[in-house]
This record gives sequence, C-alpha cells and structure tokens, in this order.
Amino acid sequence: MPDRIPTPARSALVVGLIYLFLVGVSSLETGIKIMGADTQEQLFSAVTNPIAGLCVGVLGTVLVQSSSASTSVIVGLVASGALGVDQAVPMVMGANIGTTVTNTLVSLGHVRQSNEFRRAFAAATVHDFFNVLAVALLLPLELATGVISTIAESISEVLVGSAGTEWKSPIKQWVKEPVGWLEDIWSAVGADGNLLGTLMVLTGLVIILGALTLITKNMRKLVADRVERSINAILGKGGGAVALALGLVITIAVQSSSITTSILIPLAAAGVVSLRNIYPVTLGANVGTTITALLAALAASRPEALTVGLAHTVFNVAGILLLYVIPLARDIPVRAAEILAGVAVERRTLAVAYVVGVFIITPLIGVAVLG
Amino acid sequence: MVLSFFRKGGSSGLDHVEEKAVTMLGDARHSFDLATTAVLSGSSSKSVADDIRSTDQRINQAEQDLRSELVVHVSVQGTADIATVLGFLLMIKKIERIGDQAKNILDLAEAGVSLADEENIDELHAERQVVSRMFADAAELLTDPEPGRFDEFVAQSKALSTDHATKIAGFLHSDRPGREVVPLAIYYRYLKRIVANLLGTVGTAVESLPHIDYLDDGATDITDD
Repeated sequence: MPDRIPTPARSALVVGLIYLFLVGVSSLETGIKIMGADTQEQLFSAVTNPIAGLCVGVLGTVLVQSSSASTSVIVGLVASGALGVDQAVPMVMGANIGTTVTNTLVSLGHVRQSNEFRRAFAAATVHDFFNVLAVALLLPLELATGVISTIAESISEVLVGSAGTEWKSPIKQWVKEPVGWLEDIWSAVGADGNLLGTLMVLTGLVIILGALTLITKNMRKLVADRVERSINAILGKGGGAVALALGLVITIAVQSSSITTSILIPLAAAGVVSLRNIYPVTLGANVGTTITALLAALAASRPEALTVGLAHTVFNVAGILLLYVIPLARDIPVRAAEILAGVAVERRTLAVAYVVGVFIITPLIGVAVLG
Repeated sequence: MVLSFFRKGGSSGLDHVEEKAVTMLGDARHSFDLATTAVLSGSSSKSVADDIRSTDQRINQAEQDLRSELVVHVSVQGTADIATVLGFLLMIKKIERIGDQAKNILDLAEAGVSLADEENIDELHAERQVVSRMFADAAELLTDPEPGRFDEFVAQSKALSTDHATKIAGFLHSDRPGREVVPLAIYYRYLKRIVANLLGTVGTAVESLPHIDYLDDGATDITDD
C-alpha cells in the first residue's frame, strides 16, 4: 500500500508528537505534585527496596512493551519529586530487562521449525542474558558505591545544575500552557486534590504511551528504507563496533529498541545474520533507547530527572564496557543463549515457561515479597 | 556501513533487488553465449570453462545475497510487499537455474560433444541467437514490464518451446546413431528449459504471484532441472 502521508508532513507530525509526548511527561509530573505528600509516600513506598524497584521496572516495561515509555514515566515521577534517584535507578535497570520480552515473544513465532527456532530464540535471549548479567554486576555495584548515579549526577550538574535546585527548562516553559489547559479541564468537571492529581497522571500516561506509539510508528515509516539499506550494508560483514553503532542509530531513529531487536529475529531465524553479529546490534539498541528518557527529562523541572535519564545511559554503556569490550566476558551471553535455545528446541514448552517465569512470575514474586 | 543510514538516495529495497536481478540475467546470458559457442563451434571448452564456472558462482552468490535482502525487506517493511517478494524469490531462483543450465551445456562440450558438423549448423546458430536475444528482452521487461511486449515474449517462448519439444521427440525416434542424436536431444532439452526459465523470470516481473507456474491442468513448470 502506498504511503499516503508525504514525508514532510510525516516529519512535521513526528515533531508534533514529540511535543505531545513532552506534554504527557509534564502532565504526569504535575499530577503527582498535585497529590499530597502522604499519597505520594503510599504510592511509592513499595519501591524503596531496590530489588522490588527492579521488579517494578521489569513488570511495568513488560506491560507497556516499551522501555522508552516506562523510563519516561520514571523520569516524570522523579521530576515530580515523588521518586528519588536511588529508587529510580534500579527501576530503569528493570526496564532494560523488561524490554527484551518483545523480541523473545517474536522468536516464539518460529517455534514450528526447529532450526529456525533455535536461531531465533538464541538471537532473542542473547539480549536477555546480557541485560540480566549487566544488572547482576552493576546493581550491587551501584547499591554499594552509587557509582552509576554519581557519574550521571556529575554530567547532569554540568548540564543543568545541582540536585535540589529548580531547572528552568525552556521546554518545560513550552509545554506549560497545554498542561495548564488539561488541569483546567479536569478542574472544570469538579476534580480537585488527589482526584485531580490522579486524573492528570492518567492523562499523562495515556499521552506518553499514545505519543510514543505513534512516534515509533511514523519514524519507522520515515526511516524504513534507510534501516533496510544499512542492515543490507552490514550483512555478513561481521559485528563489532559497526554493528553496535548501527543498533544505536536505528534505535535513536525509531525511538524503540524493541523495533530494532525484533527486526533482527526473522533475519536470525532465516540464517541471514549470525548470533554473534546480532549481539552488538542489540547492545547499540540498549544505549539508543535511552534517548527517549533523556528527551523526557527536558520537560522536567528538576535536575534529578535528567540524572535518572543519564543513569540509564551510563548503565548501558558500563554494561557494554564490562560484558562486551572485555573479550572473556563477551561470549558469556552468547553461549548462554545458545544453550538455552538448544534446551528450548528440545522442549518447547520450556521456552514459554522461560518467558512467563522471567518476565512475569519472578518480578511479581519480587514485588510481592520485597515491595 | 553505518553512514549508509544517513546517505540520501541510492537504490534500496526492491529496486535494488530488481537491479541485481538484471545483472544476474546479464551474467547468465554471458555463460549461455560462451557455452553454446563451445558446443556449436567445437572449439576447445577449456578456454571458456573457468569463465563460465566463475560466472555461475557469481550468479549463485547474487542469488544468496538477494534472498537475504528480501528477508531483510520483509523484516523491516512488513508484509505489504509480500507478493512481490515471493515473486522475486521465484525469479532469482529461475535465473540461478539458467546459470546452471548454461553450465550443463558446457558439460556437453567438455564431454567432447561438438555440433559443428551438423547439417543444420546455421539453423542451430540462428536459434542460439534468438535465445540469447531473449535474455536482453527479459532484462528489459524486468525493468519495464510493459504488457504488450510481455505478450509477445510469451508467444515467442511458447513457439520456441513447442519447436524444441518437437525436435526432441524427433531425435528420440530418429534412425540416426545415438552418439549423434543424444547430444542434440540433450542440447535442445537445455534450450527448452532455459527458455521456460526466462519466461518464468519475466512472468514474475509482470505478475508477482502468477498462474504461469501453476497451469490450469494442475501441472507445473517449476521442475526445471
């Protein structure tokens, strides 16, 4: 079917949607602020335990199938002051794990053909293993030393000022008016106090999810030819830094790591791209997806929001430095994914059990026990 | 390679596949011309064997590359072009088979077959020229699948196919010695298959999922080996 929207119009639409997305983040922040301190305390007390926060990050991302969306919400919550950086960092780490569910689900579509399924499932789970290993290494390090948040805070301080101060974001000023209109609309129907706050939060969530979905859909159409050309250029020419950069660029362009990684699954299944070539592309996608939370932080009034967005980026870069740049560690996720794919091919119900167990049951238990 | 993302223009997607399919067809014609010349002239096949084999490898590699590109296309762009993609998969397979069949004609020459002393050698050369020209026609139809020209191409292919079938049947019942008619029958059999594959190649350009391969009586023409 021919593309009915001309490219300039679609580009303008994307700019409009980004604006709408920022309105959504600001609406969320405003809604939380409207709620009283007691309500905020009740809402977020569950995530004071970092493991519970991690599990909430996983579950929230699985629910919306987008780490860009979940991290943007986290940034909005931090911007409102309801959530601290310490609580938010484990949550964004959880979002990293949760986002891999999409390509794992895509790989299940190849379940009928053993060889295809083996390759597809390994290509999907290499991303899972990398992210779980990165969290296993970096979350304890962060809890013990605060290294990730310290680095992020230093960068944030240089860019927008110290934590605890008010940052006069120009974008915040641009979105102030429509957020005010939303508040007026809900007030006009009689909402106030916690009800008004809740309605503003829900409106913000709907706007964030809707705008991000449409941004991704339209950006995918805008850059599809370029994505196709660059994947063809890299086919069979190995992985490494070039593949990593490609994953980064494509993900920034389409604003979704799930899109980037899900495109790769049918290619892996068909044997067009090897697991070792896919691996660095997914790592680039991990870093690329952090751009959305950084964008969301631009609409926030507290430097801490940017700190959390940057912490997401620092975490993913640190994961690459630890698990990909060091040759000994590089093969661990690949080998683990190959072994798991071998098991899944033999007993396919285990593949489904793996998805449900890792992405739903384990985080649910985590929240129930530790939250 | 990453910069290719930012580069503007250049052929991409199915346009690129079409361009490469035309190149494959050019390579297949090159192999066909060399192989038939070797058989019809009786000249040494050694001088052309390496060229034909390396050209065949190039065709095979192009087929593999294009199959990958088509998988990438569907992964990235979704299933909107699925009929065209399936048509292209069929098309490049047929071109690859033409490369193999040109190599089969070379095998005849390498086995010592020479048709240079045949009485109707001029007719054989003329037929070879007709088929060789059909490669160029097919390439033009790939880039510009104009229905009128396609109909002419179909009519020409069918006429040739009938003629080749008649000749093959004639050789099967000929009183001439087997060492004379068997090479001719095999040669015409390859010509017939090459013409059928050229028709199939062009057919996919005109109609991605055509009825050409699936005839009304349920028979197919894809058993082209």
